[in-house]
Amino acid sequence: MKIIPAIDLRDLLRAAAAAAAIAIFAPAAAGAGMTDAVKTETLPNGLKVLVLENHKAPVATFSVFFHVGSRNEAFGQTGLSHLLEHLMFKGTKKIKPEEFSNIIQENGGMDNAFTTSDFTDYFEVINKDHLDVPISLEADRMANWEPKQFDEEKAVVEEERRLRTDDNPEDALDELVRAQAFVAHPYHWPVIGWMKDIQRLTLQDAIAYHQVYYSPQNAIIVAVGDFNSDQVLKQVAESFGAIKNGPKPPPMRDVEPPQEGERRVEMRHAANLPAFEEAFHVPNLSNPDSFALEVASEILADGKSSRLYKKLVVEKRMVVSIGAGYDMTSFDPGLFVVSGQMRPGVKTESAIAEADHELAALREKPVGAEELQKAKNLEQAQFVFTQDSIHEEAMLLGLYEMLGSYKLVDQYLAGIDKVTAADVQRVARQYLVDSNRTLGVLVPTGVRPAGAGGGISGGQIRHGEDGLSGVVR
Amino acid sequence: MNAAGISLRTSMAAAAALIAVAAAAPKANALEIKRMTLSNGAVLLVSEEHQLPMVTLSIAFDAGSRRDPAGKAGLASLTAHCLSQGTRELSAADFNQKVDFMGSAVSVDAGRDWANASLTSLTKYEAETLHLLAGIVTDPGLRDADIERKRTEQVAGIKAEEERPGYPATVKFTRSLFGDAPYGHPVEGYADSVAKLTAEDVRSFYRDHYKLGSAVIAVTGDVHADEIKVLLEKQLSGIRGAVASQPVPPPPSVAPGLHLNVIDRNVTQANVILGFGGIERSNPDYYRLQVMNYILGGGGFSSRLVKVVRSREGLAYSVGSGFSAGKFAGAFSVGLETKNASANQAIKLVLDQIREIQEKPVSDEELDGAKKYLIGSFPLSIDRQSGIASFMLGVELNGLGLDYADKFPKLIQAVTKEDVQKVARTYLHPDSVLIVAVANQREAAIADAAIAQAGGGAAGAPAH
Repeated sequence: MKIIPAIDLRDLLRAAAAAAAIAIFAPAAAGAGMTDAVKTETLPNGLKVLVLENHKAPVATFSVFFHVGSRNEAFGQTGLSHLLEHLMFKGTKKIKPEEFSNIIQENGGMDNAFTTSDFTDYFEVINKDHLDVPISLEADRMANWEPKQFDEEKAVVEEERRLRTDDNPEDALDELVRAQAFVAHPYHWPVIGWMKDIQRLTLQDAIAYHQVYYSPQNAIIVAVGDFNSDQVLKQVAESFGAIKNGPKPPPMRDVEPPQEGERRVEMRHAANLPAFEEAFHVPNLSNPDSFALEVASEILADGKSSRLYKKLVVEKRMVVSIGAGYDMTSFDPGLFVVSGQMRPGVKTESAIAEADHELAALREKPVGAEELQKAKNLEQAQFVFTQDSIHEEAMLLGLYEMLGSYKLVDQYLAGIDKVTAADVQRVARQYLVDSNRTLGVLVPTGVRPAGAGGGISGGQIRHGEDGLSGVVR
Repeated sequence: MNAAGISLRTSMAAAAALIAVAAAAPKANALEIKRMTLSNGAVLLVSEEHQLPMVTLSIAFDAGSRRDPAGKAGLASLTAHCLSQGTRELSAADFNQKVDFMGSAVSVDAGRDWANASLTSLTKYEAETLHLLAGIVTDPGLRDADIERKRTEQVAGIKAEEERPGYPATVKFTRSLFGDAPYGHPVEGYADSVAKLTAEDVRSFYRDHYKLGSAVIAVTGDVHADEIKVLLEKQLSGIRGAVASQPVPPPPSVAPGLHLNVIDRNVTQANVILGFGGIERSNPDYYRLQVMNYILGGGGFSSRLVKVVRSREGLAYSVGSGFSAGKFAGAFSVGLETKNASANQAIKLVLDQIREIQEKPVSDEELDGAKKYLIGSFPLSIDRQSGIASFMLGVELNGLGLDYADKFPKLIQAVTKEDVQKVARTYLHPDSVLIVAVANQREAAIADAAIAQAGGGAAGAPAH
């Protein structure tokens, strides 16, 4: 038990996302692949099921992935995937709103759900003796969803947006940079949606969306834990096998046109410290360059011996934090992001110049053998560490299955291992260049009393209310 | 790392808090722990688990922020961070290079009660990683230049935190409740207190508090108890002896009345923390309070606060309560964020729920649900190495006994409805309450009278 302060999720989310993104491929320590013991089955209604025994602790995790995220939304209805995720807890023909979590907790479990731009995941972690509970509850919610309390839950989501983005300068900047980097593709808008869109969404919107995307044929179930996998496969087939499909989801055809020239954007926001975020368009897992880009991100920012940390944190003392992130598992080509928050008194331009200097070095000179090996070693170790959590194992399997096949997990380390210094240099030259960059800068307007300074104060910053969060006006 | 791409239904932090509440096991054999003592006096706890080729080791030192000397808030935290700047033989840069090359993780961090030095590594690098960790805690470099750099880093980090509305709310609440007592300042200190710390402050804090005679070491994963003991005997030849005992401060209390403290700021949400003095971990009512708090606001979607403030009224994304029971008496607090305009109403709803659980017995269903969760969820807290290590440290540091996993279910099972109401009356003080809010006061207009008069939907009605 502890004080529960105002919770800042960003770091936790970033950590979770980073773990998922980094730890994807295994050094398969003993030669066997992590996925060798996975058993699969596709039910007649198209529902794909993956199960993996893991007897490390007397627990099990159950996860239902739907192949739908904010990338499947349309202008004017942004945030619908995430709102629907919330509504999935608001009752079925059999159980009352929020009773789902109540039942899970009474059985010694925890449950949660999250939405990304690509998919939506509902999961439980529970005492192994009670795995039948989430199985029947998830099947009930897939078959018999009947939400109540729509307006109240929409208000909760609005509060979530205020907490996560509107009062959080770095997330507001990230939202703006992505909106600038993607013009035509739905990665343009944030997962949580623009505030005005959230406020406009109706229960009918959610029900229509659910009919299209929440069918067994559009879902994947993953169970990992201390159980007998044949028995779990049988239970899942019995519980989910009779659920009927709705219409087939339409294909997502939006493609982002090539970026022609650098884009710069400035955001004025209630903050004290300046920050920047640079984003470069890059390919995803479907392109072998993704492995070299992953290695590049390790070299730039994983660990205290990484280039950006050494230069900007230790040597120049310019930033409070610096990071480089690449998510090779995005369904459509995504972004390679470098971001930093200034120390007090540091000019953003000088920190950006130092970061760019490190990117230039990556383009100009091949990385040394030891540095390359270090990046590979970090990947290997993190892959093993990921398997310490059955929940993260399940995440990995589900994510890769949605990308094509869970077996891709076993090819990851081989892919990383093949990367040469020349590859890293080549992808840096190809993708990490100014003409492919969106640069966002946060100009802090100060956190200060709202009542002071007459009419023109923080109250004027109505970010998020017009659907263009933080745009300079 | 697609940070922007994820939106969770509820915070992982809240889930983690939930899990942390359930600190014990239904089965004795859930975890086999070997307890030994090293010749330097440190207690060693080992739980072997050979499924994955990795190891986690964590050393707790009596070096938390409660040990910060007067006027030197943030010293424990700074000292911890300076330790990971290499040894007398090894520069910070060389140290980092070696750790990263193995893909290991090594860190030293201070909390409120203890400081933790820990490592995670692949089995094949265990000895080498341990050698590096042992080096920084027994023979640290503590060079002037490194300390100066970490000091300015810490100040900058605090300034960055201050941007987030929840941070100043927490700092103000803590300060107002504990004053100058050991729990009265944030672990990382204040920007101005840290700015004044010197290299000699750090070295002297290290000498006084990183004594192995008061240390507890937890090791789990792909290790053999006997081998790790031999290795630790050889590597951990640091400062012997025990840390001087610390006087127990008087428990925090709030005078009668509603003590409102609003920090006016240009934000879209009011960040509210309200509460009063709580208990120390050794308080025998700890288990009764766990059950009570689960029902009131610790039990996530099963709790009354979430049911009322979030689910019924739609006023907040996250709301919860907890007792921060430490070595000394901590706080009881409720935290929430709500749009400015609904701040008074949300506060009123929380105070009503606190009164409600004092005035009427909880239902059989609530009591039963709380017990089932608290007892049944123990395995979740030990489903990974970090959880196993912190469980072992908690058992030893709080003197719970190696059979704690067996005792815990019985302690929870014994709690009655009468117990719940009794501890609610004893430990909850809705009429002597400290309320701190960071809010846009033009919109929020948080005030005593407004709180008292705020409508609360079906206010006063039971939440369940």
